Amino acid sequence: MPKCTIDGKEVEFKPGENLVSVAKRAGIEIPVFCYHPGLSVVAQCRMCYVEVEKMPKLQTACSTQAAEGMVVKTQSEAVKKGRAGTMEFLLLNHPLDCPICDKSGECDLQDNSFGHGSEFMRHSEERRTYVDVDMGPVIQKNMNRCIHCTRCIRFGDEVAGIHEMVAIKRGNNIDITTIDGKQLKTEYAGNYSDICPTGSLTLKDFRFKKRAWMLKKTPTVCEGCSKGCNMEVQHEGNVVYRCVPRENLEINKYWMCDEGRFNYQYVQDPSRIVDPMKKAGDSWLVARWEELLSGLRTDAAGASVLFLVGTDLTNEEMKAIQDAARALSPKIQIQSFGTPGVETSGQDGPRDQILKMKSKTANLKGAESLGISPLLGSAKSDVVVVFRGGRAELPRIEAKKAYGVGVFLEKERNFFHAILPGLSFLEKDGTVINHQGVPQGMKRALLPRGRCKSTGEMLMLMLNQRNNEVTA
Amino acid sequence: MLAIRKPGFLNRLYLIEIIRGLWITMKNFLFHKKVTLQFPEQRRDYSNRYRGQHYIKAVNGVENCTACMLCPTVCPAECIHIVAGEREDKEKYPVKFEIDSLRCCFCGMCEEACPKDAIKLSNIYEMSQQTRTVYEKDFLLEQRGNK
Repeated sequence: MPKCTIDGKEVEFKPGENLVSVAKRAGIEIPVFCYHPGLSVVAQCRMCYVEVEKMPKLQTACSTQAAEGMVVKTQSEAVKKGRAGTMEFLLLNHPLDCPICDKSGECDLQDNSFGHGSEFMRHSEERRTYVDVDMGPVIQKNMNRCIHCTRCIRFGDEVAGIHEMVAIKRGNNIDITTIDGKQLKTEYAGNYSDICPTGSLTLKDFRFKKRAWMLKKTPTVCEGCSKGCNMEVQHEGNVVYRCVPRENLEINKYWMCDEGRFNYQYVQDPSRIVDPMKKAGDSWLVARWEELLSGLRTDAAGASVLFLVGTDLTNEEMKAIQDAARALSPKIQIQSFGTPGVETSGQDGPRDQILKMKSKTANLKGAESLGISPLLGSAKSDVVVVFRGGRAELPRIEAKKAYGVGVFLEKERNFFHAILPGLSFLEKDGTVINHQGVPQGMKRALLPRGRCKSTGEMLMLMLNQRNNEVTA
Repeated sequence: MLAIRKPGFLNRLYLIEIIRGLWITMKNFLFHKKVTLQFPEQRRDYSNRYRGQHYIKAVNGVENCTACMLCPTVCPAECIHIVAGEREDKEKYPVKFEIDSLRCCFCGMCEEACPKDAIKLSNIYEMSQQTRTVYEKDFLLEQRGNK
C-alpha cells in the first residue's frame, strides 16, 4: 500500500482515496461542510483546506487524492488562517439563532466555528434574509441558516434518485429550494435533515421537542423492513424523540427511509394496550396476568391449537415460543405471518432502488432459519395465539378463541378475546436476521410501559404456574 | 513551690466584677446601634447581586425567553422544566416554564447561562411557603423585585 505523511504521521491509503478519509483513519479531523462520504465531491465550502508540500496554494482535502510520498500539513499557520477566513465568510449571513435552532448541539457550523473560527465579528451590516417555502410534512426549512454546501441537492440526485432540490439565483442571492417551490416527494426526506450541516433543514417531527444534547442515544436496528437498517434511537425519560441512521456500509450506508424513521411512534401511541385485558361482551376489562396466563395454558393444551408467530419478533422470542409450544402439547402448530404476499424470503426483494424491501417485518429470514412455516390464507383453528412485535400485519383469524400476545393498538384488538401486552422492538434485546442473512442485535432503549412483559417471561410464568398462584 | 494566694475580702465579694460586667451590658443596651430590625415595617437593603426569587424578563410584554433550554441544562438541581412551542409573533417560546422552588438552590447558574437575559434572580427574599410551590411562567413574568 502506498503511504503519505499527514502531520508527521505516516498513513497507508488505497489509491484514489481523498485526504479527508485518509486523515480520519490517522485520527486527524479535517473540518468539512460540503463533503460527505456518501455523496460526490464538489469542494465548494472551502473549509477543508490543507497545506500540501510542493503545491503553491492551499488545497481542499476532500478533492485532493492522496499520492505516494505526499506531505500534508493540517495545522500550519496558513491552513488556520484559511479556515478562519472561510468561517468568517460562512458566518457573514448566518443568523445568531442557535438558541432557537434545533440543530444546535450537533451542528457542524457551530462545532467548526468554535474550533476554527474567530471569536469576534468584523461586519455590522444587515444579514440577508429569505422567505421560506413549505417543504412538506417531514422537513422544515430555514433558508437564512443555509451555507450552500449543496449536500441536499446531491443527496436527492445521487441517493434518493429524485432531482427535487436546486440552487436558484447566483452569488449573494443564491437560494436552495425545491423546483418551483413544490413539496418534497421522496420517501427518504428525513435524510435531508441528517446531512444538512446547519439547521437549514430540520425535522418537523422533532421541532422544538428537545435539544440535541439532552437525548440519550441507543444504537439499534430498524424493524421497518427486512433490510435491517442500523439506526440510533434518541430518547430521554422513557420517551423516544427521534431515530437517526447509523453508518453501516454493507447494509444502509448512511441513510434510512422515513417509514423506518417515524416507525417508533406506535411504541408510545396512547392507544397501545399496556395492561393485560380480556373481552367481556362488547367491552374490554383489565385482567390479572395469572388469570389470562392460566386461561391460555388450559386452552393451548386443548385439541386444535395454532401459534402464529409474527416475523417482527426476534430469534430469541421465536425460539422461546417454539420451546414453550413443545412443552405444552406436541400437537400445537406454529406458523409465521408478516407481510401479506411476502411469505418466504424468496418472495422478498427490493421495493425501490434504494433501501426499502417488500417484507415489512425485520425477521423473515430468522423465522425461516428456525423452521417456522409461513401461514397461507387465514388462520383457522379452535384456539389461535398470535405473537406479534407490533409491525406484522394481522391475518384473518377464524377461531373460537384468539389470544394476542405482544404489541397491539386499541383498533387492532377486536379480533381477540384477550390481549397479553408484550414488548416492542425498542424495549427488548434480541437478534434479527436481515434479507442478506446478516444477524444484527436490537438493543433495549426504553423501559417497558405499563404492565407489559417480555414474551419469554410470559411463557415462563405460564409454564411454571401452579393453580391460582399470584404471578403479577 | 507554688504559693496559692488567697483572694482578699473585696475580691471575694465579686461586687466590683459584677458592676463591671453589668456596665458592658448597659453600654451595649443604651449606646450601641441595634443589630435587629423591626421586620415587616423596616427592611434591610440587600446588594444588587443578591440571588432571590427568579423572574423572567419581558420587553413590551413579550418574554425574552426563547426556550433554548440552556438553564435546565446547566441547572445543578434540575428544577427548571420548559416546554417549547411556536406562535405567530415568535418562532420559539416557552409554552411552559416551571421552577420547582424547593429544589432550587439559588446558585444563579441559570442567569449566567441565559443567552437572552431572560431568566434572572431578583432580590426578593420573602419566599416562605406552606406547600410545595412550582413557579409558573405567568407568576415568574410578574416578579421583578427592584429590578
